[in-house]
Amino acid sequence: MSTENTLPAKHTPSLGNMKKVISALAIDTFLWSYTALVIYKIIWEKLIKNVRYPEFTWNQPLTALAVGFGISVVLFFTTASLGRAFQGLYDFDENETKLGKPFAIWGYFVIFLTFIAGLHMSQVSMREFLSDSGLEGARRIFTALFNPNWNIIEDALFAAVETIYMAFIATAFAIPVAFIMGFFAARNLMSSNRLMFSIYTLTRFVLNMSRSIEPLVWAIIFSVWVGIGPFSGMLALMLHSVASLSKLYSEQIESIGDGPIEAMTATGAHPIQVIWYGVVPQIVLPYLSYTIYRWDINVRMATVIGLVGGGGIGTMLMQYQGLAKWNEVGLLVIVIAAIVWFMDWASSKIREAIK
Amino acid sequence: MIQIENLVKTYPNGTQALKGVSFDVKKGEFLVVIGLSGSGKSTLLRCMNRLHDPSSGKINFEGEEMTALKGKALRMARSRIGMIFQHFNLVPRKTVMTNVLTGTLARTGVLASIFGWYSEEDKKKAADYIKIVGLSGKENVRADNLSGGQQQRVAIARALMQNPKVLLADEPVASLDPATSHSVMQYLKKVNEELGVTVICNLHFLSLVRQYASRVIALKGGKMIYEGQPLDIDEQWFQTIYGEDAVEVTIN
Repeated sequence: MSTENTLPAKHTPSLGNMKKVISALAIDTFLWSYTALVIYKIIWEKLIKNVRYPEFTWNQPLTALAVGFGISVVLFFTTASLGRAFQGLYDFDENETKLGKPFAIWGYFVIFLTFIAGLHMSQVSMREFLSDSGLEGARRIFTALFNPNWNIIEDALFAAVETIYMAFIATAFAIPVAFIMGFFAARNLMSSNRLMFSIYTLTRFVLNMSRSIEPLVWAIIFSVWVGIGPFSGMLALMLHSVASLSKLYSEQIESIGDGPIEAMTATGAHPIQVIWYGVVPQIVLPYLSYTIYRWDINVRMATVIGLVGGGGIGTMLMQYQGLAKWNEVGLLVIVIAAIVWFMDWASSKIREAIK
Repeated sequence: MIQIENLVKTYPNGTQALKGVSFDVKKGEFLVVIGLSGSGKSTLLRCMNRLHDPSSGKINFEGEEMTALKGKALRMARSRIGMIFQHFNLVPRKTVMTNVLTGTLARTGVLASIFGWYSEEDKKKAADYIKIVGLSGKENVRADNLSGGQQQRVAIARALMQNPKVLLADEPVASLDPATSHSVMQYLKKVNEELGVTVICNLHFLSLVRQYASRVIALKGGKMIYEGQPLDIDEQWFQTIYGEDAVEVTIN
């Protein structure tokens, strides 16, 4: 039998299929409710009727949800269900292109709608961009920036040195912690039994959590905790470095060859000896390379973190910017660019040399 | 000295690598295991020192049941079984000397081995074995800078440091050229004859089998289908082991 007729899909009522049908319906409901809400709140109220202060009640999203669910249930039995397409519930011919199918066209429409809504939400406006007063302001600030005030070069350099050292200490403190955590977060070493695997899962969870909080946020927390200055910035960078270095280290461990591990195990070595001789020699150089790269990133981040009170050249930049002293800001921008360029160059040279 | 009884290994993905293999290994013999790739040769060897855990069956090694061992007892048993590999599996970036000394890890303390404190006796022994495998003068060369044949000889020296009763060789010459293959096989023969170490070796080339083996077993699809003398493998057996269309390749 040929599969010319692509409709309807497999109707085998198994448990696994049930789960897929429910997720497909959930996806469809979400997309249709979203479409209904965007069309009503943005296209209709804002762009067509041009209401300045549209009313918002929770009934609106709830109605949209109901409408979306209704449409999804009806369209579920046609070829216009994106949810079914995502869950692989259609019986299409493998060789056929799916880009012209009804569900794909609906997908394009959702993306187009989001684009329109996005333009509106981010208040994109050519008029503002090219207005006379705006251009005048831009001219003023660029003139000042290109005429940096070299009188504060000494202070700027001191602040820059502070930033570099702070980034260095943050990296140095992060290394031993990340070194240990890296082993716990490496799947190939930790999947031998259930206890090890739960340690692995826990470590991964903690690392992902601390990585998902931006160092900027940590800097704010630590500046309340230990006071504004380089120490709080250092702590914020250290925490973030631990998380990301552990991840990089563990990925490196996961990609090493099994051979030496197998050979060391075969000699009757203790698991710690297996790691020391079978794993460590394979990872030291990549580790070094990652660590230097991390220092480079930390220097760059340290300037941003300075903006929220993390000390160093960032804090200085924030102060002059607050006073609208654009000539001084111009100098600081030059110093920051020079540091970033130098660190970038130095770290890539060092990493090349140790390969 | 080794009795293997009804050994079965099923991998987690469902592949049945060994479907009940039984045989004995006598002290001092040079036993060669032949068979196609995927016939279970490597799995068999890795089950013998528990790099892989067999699913069922028994492995009796000098009166000790390997499958029942755990922790320190298992490590001690492993240390009496040397192993060499197709890809040598030396520790990269370390010298020949350090690599050979890793053969003593089972009897060196964890801390001592991390700091590289090996006993003088072991160091002297390592130097002797490096000499035996013909690499004297290369002690402080990085092992990964050596040629394939030299690396395999370092691996043999490392295995000898364990004072092994048995040496498992998993396709030791499969990634070497013919001339080097013979040289490595000669060293294995020397280990077998002069040091009295029992050798169990996986091989692909029948010409090598005929020259070095004292006894042969053949695996096919996880089962043992032949056991006997190397010279008794005739055309018919060859085709049974390697398939109808197989043509024998010889290396000289």
